[in-house]
Amino acid sequence: MTAADNDRSPAMATARDLPGRQDGADTAPPAQEPASAAAAGRLSGLRGVDPLDVGIVIVVLAVIVTGMLTTRFFSLANARAILASTASVGITAIGATVVMIAGSAVSLAVSQTATVVAMIFLATQQFGLAAAIIAGLLSGVAMTAIQGAVIGFWTANPIVLTIAAGFAIGGVATWISGGTTVYPQVTAFNGLNDTPLGLPLAVYVLLAITGVAQWLLRRTTAGRYMYLIGENPRAARAAGLPVGRVTVIAWAIFGACIALTGVFLAAFNTSANASLGGTLSLDAIAAVLAGGTAIGGGKGSAVRTLGGALLISAISDLLLLRGFSTGIQLLVKGLLVAFVVIAVHVRSTRGRR
Amino acid sequence: MIRRPAAPPETLVPGVALVVVLITFFCTPLMSGRALTAFDVYNTFQGLAQLGLLTLGLGLTMIAGEFDLSVAGTYVLGGMLAVRTGQSSAILGIVLAVGAGAAIGAVQGGIIARLRIPSLPVTLATYVALLGLTSAMSGGLSVTYTNTGATLWMDRHIAGIFSPPSLITLTGFVIAAAVFGGTRLGREIRAIGGDRRASRVAGVRVERGLVGLFTASGALPALGGALFSYSYAAANPNPGLQPLILATVGCLVGGVSLVGGRGLPAGLLAGALSVALLGQVDAITAIPDYYTELLYAALLGVIVAVDAPGLRRGLDRLKARAATIRTPDRRP
Amino acid sequence: MSDMAGDRARPQVCVEVLSRSFGGVAAVREVSFTVGAGEIHGLCGHNGAGKSTVVKMLSGQLAPDSGRIVIGGQPVVLGSRQAAQRLGVALVDQELSVVPELTVLDNLLLGGVSTPLLNRRRAAAARCRQVLGDMGLDRIRPQQPLAELSIGERQLVEVARALSQNARLVILDEPTATLSDVETEYVFAAIRRVAARGCSVIFVSHRLSEVLELCDTVTVLRDGRRIATTPASELTVSDLIVQMLGEAPHRLTAARAPDPQPGHSLRIEGLRVPGRLTDFSLTAQAGRVYALAGQLGSGASDVLRALAGLHPQATGRVRLRDRAVPFRNPVGAAAAGVAFVSSDRKSEGLFLDKPIAANFLATRLPGLGRAGLLSSRREHQAARSLAELVGIADHRLREPTAALSGGNQQRVFVGRSLGRDDVYALLLDEPTRGVDIGGRAAIHRLLRAAADAGLIVVFASTELEELLELGDVIITMRETRMVARYEGGADGAVLMRDMTQGERAA
Repeated sequence: MTAADNDRSPAMATARDLPGRQDGADTAPPAQEPASAAAAGRLSGLRGVDPLDVGIVIVVLAVIVTGMLTTRFFSLANARAILASTASVGITAIGATVVMIAGSAVSLAVSQTATVVAMIFLATQQFGLAAAIIAGLLSGVAMTAIQGAVIGFWTANPIVLTIAAGFAIGGVATWISGGTTVYPQVTAFNGLNDTPLGLPLAVYVLLAITGVAQWLLRRTTAGRYMYLIGENPRAARAAGLPVGRVTVIAWAIFGACIALTGVFLAAFNTSANASLGGTLSLDAIAAVLAGGTAIGGGKGSAVRTLGGALLISAISDLLLLRGFSTGIQLLVKGLLVAFVVIAVHVRSTRGRR
Repeated sequence: MIRRPAAPPETLVPGVALVVVLITFFCTPLMSGRALTAFDVYNTFQGLAQLGLLTLGLGLTMIAGEFDLSVAGTYVLGGMLAVRTGQSSAILGIVLAVGAGAAIGAVQGGIIARLRIPSLPVTLATYVALLGLTSAMSGGLSVTYTNTGATLWMDRHIAGIFSPPSLITLTGFVIAAAVFGGTRLGREIRAIGGDRRASRVAGVRVERGLVGLFTASGALPALGGALFSYSYAAANPNPGLQPLILATVGCLVGGVSLVGGRGLPAGLLAGALSVALLGQVDAITAIPDYYTELLYAALLGVIVAVDAPGLRRGLDRLKARAATIRTPDRRP
Repeated sequence: MSDMAGDRARPQVCVEVLSRSFGGVAAVREVSFTVGAGEIHGLCGHNGAGKSTVVKMLSGQLAPDSGRIVIGGQPVVLGSRQAAQRLGVALVDQELSVVPELTVLDNLLLGGVSTPLLNRRRAAAARCRQVLGDMGLDRIRPQQPLAELSIGERQLVEVARALSQNARLVILDEPTATLSDVETEYVFAAIRRVAARGCSVIFVSHRLSEVLELCDTVTVLRDGRRIATTPASELTVSDLIVQMLGEAPHRLTAARAPDPQPGHSLRIEGLRVPGRLTDFSLTAQAGRVYALAGQLGSGASDVLRALAGLHPQATGRVRLRDRAVPFRNPVGAAAAGVAFVSSDRKSEGLFLDKPIAANFLATRLPGLGRAGLLSSRREHQAARSLAELVGIADHRLREPTAALSGGNQQRVFVGRSLGRDDVYALLLDEPTRGVDIGGRAAIHRLLRAAADAGLIVVFASTELEELLELGDVIITMRETRMVARYEGGADGAVLMRDMTQGERAA
């Protein structure tokens, strides 16, 4: 889905081969200016300075300035709190970024997947921590990669598919757990709740995952394919790029991230029931969008998402310290996402007029 | 020749779904051991009243090829606004709720249409913002509606199976169907969803249509939320993702395609009714929740498969391969 | 011929000194002509002549840089499609603009300025049936979904829509390209009826015999300029060809003698795509350039698309270098060594937001590193060598591809398939579409060099100069079939005739 001319069902466009005339015999030169003016300073590719980042810098400055006027904002304890609250949503958000870049937009099955992984993790505690983690990871990757295969090979609509998957996975979760909470028989996972240097282990994992995802997106063939496929799936198909395979890889990574989040949630809550996943689906999407990754695909990065997640956490924390309710925090979060989304879109279409 | 099945999916899918669900509904005595009563039907229509207008609003945007995630937010906000401002005058509360919903929808529609932004991220942001606003208005807690007169009036039984909210909801669908089928708007909305470029070339005023549509998809859920809050005597600022998901299911079962161009208000009614019926079946028979969840999963799975272009390509390939096998070529 | 052909004293539509450029390249240069009320005016010209641009300006989709349009004696500003419609300009676009999700009746009523808010079902259906009958579509019901109609029938519905809008000017851009002879006759009858009512008609087409059959006057454009406006009765197809090409079509001798060496080959047998291509066979040798000459709807580009894996319903046998090509899916075709350059570089070719280097490397990533990792060094090397090969300055490699001119974009698009060991056949659909003269020559050089280096090159085109210049073997196609094959000694006029004869050739 290209950003420039959203003349086809912008909500969720899947490329349709229209039985119409596709060859135009008489051609006028393309309507876009080759313009040096457009190129100058308005790059929307993988590098370059652009006005969106300027906007975000302004927001960050506003946060810093307000923070300075707020007691306890610039303290170590508060910094730790911000980082800690970013961790679980952040890890999932990194996975969601990879999938969004690869063109599959969003998944609404995230909460249920995390819940099931948590249940499996707790249920396999007696085989040792490593085995339980592996079991969780494998199940998360499997559940998500299957969705990726259907989306990649059959060009299924991601929203409908993940809603369906969400029902299936949620149903399975309720079935296995019998509708009750899952308690572990053995608690081998206490180590996961450690806080080396005062930061939850999950934060370190988040940072590591961000690094791995960033590297993957930039330095591997699969990552490069994801950017191409996300930007123009039709062109990717016509060029013979392995669209199906790469989509599965992207979703598998997403699955691993969701699984990690599930594991940490399980360790933190020491039990798992159907509502463990909470609003993870939308929170993750919001973090990705706030970082400036476009929902249409083909652009963005893991680092951006980390920034977006941190920004959301920081703003929520700031508002909390200043006495604003959770409601206001949510409201501001929504406005921030709206602002970034609009700015991202305007910037990418401006360069093409 | 490009051929399609005899009955278009937008009537076939909701029709079949509704029939199947109705049969299930009428079979519930077998599982619950007691006969169906008028109260069960009343409850079903209450269920319809709860999410019907939400489904209608969302469905209309989907027909135009968009996806208004914020309907769940306007729903919640509408309920809260109606309760807070309508403590003495119920009508005032409803008017304000609907007005706010329409205004929010119009602004969204304007942004989406003018800037040609995909609707998903914008409406998602609005959804989050509206949830926040509603929560801020109530301090995160449910707010009780003290106008018991209005609540009692809302919960009245009419003809044994209806109530004012369910009748209003049904009226909403009827009006939508009338506008859709009886005026040029229906045709244009479907064209906008089916092929936006062709619509522009044909002369359809796409931007105006989109703004109007989003205004409706803001007003309708607000009304639905307001009525529900009155009936329930409380406004809940945080119902979770469930309303949105169920509304989406209602739309998809109602024969609306996410790609756009397909769907009818009548189908949406069938979809919403199916969801309400299933909810009631769930309540009567006390079957485990996961049955319904797995059923929805299967239903949506079929819908996704039918709409997937890649699947069709795969089938074309199989057919071509079969044709080649049937007519082996002569090697030189 | 219209009955009111003589009534041209009061021209209804005047195009005065219209000009339009795109990024410094002039597409239309000071074109002027008039169309009277009731006159059917043909507009002809070869590719790039400016016909589409004139049509876009007359229908409100583009604003002219200079000049003006006068309708009914009043100069008008056509700011949008809707504005043009309100002023009485109806359009049948080159690209099919009907909505398959709607019924036939809905499509006919769609977007009309005078359509009432409330549907008058019965009246509209009756009128619809009458209109359908006029177009020979009696067996189609108004409530039928458009998706059930064939492409030709959909085209007829679109023509019917435009003609039923009570417009002052109806513009039809290539309306008969996908129509059978019978369907074309219905369109002509409808156009004549509408002209008889005083409507002005502009008929743009490549099918020259049709133009002469239908139109009262024909204006020919070439290189953006109006060359001539002549009454149709004074013209023959050959005259038109001369006007369009600028000189008596020349005879071109083969640039090189056919290569006797067997070498590698691409063997196509019985390739068919239901509805688009019938029984195409060809054995293409390495080292030669094969040209498929065919207009819209002829099947030329469908051959290439089928080979590239974009027609999953295609049947037939294809062998490249003696190995079967799994041509029903693009990944398989690419793996077998087929590289495809589609006719639409914007939406099916390049990744415009990505840097030029990324576009160069898009199809050769696996070779640029080991075990799935990319090596920066090899990336830069490969990108730089490709940039040098196609003539793009090194320092531009990081710029987004959207910043390039059309010609340079096309060079990148073609270039990305060159210099690869794993590509054996290069297929190009309209390789120099939207490219200026200089760029065109550069791309032709590239293709010739590629063929010399042992690649099998097959391209589809409607540009006579390109076909004659570049094609060692030219195969003409029309209406899904091969017409003739020429090896050297081909004649522009003959090619044209093969491609454009509307009626069955003798």
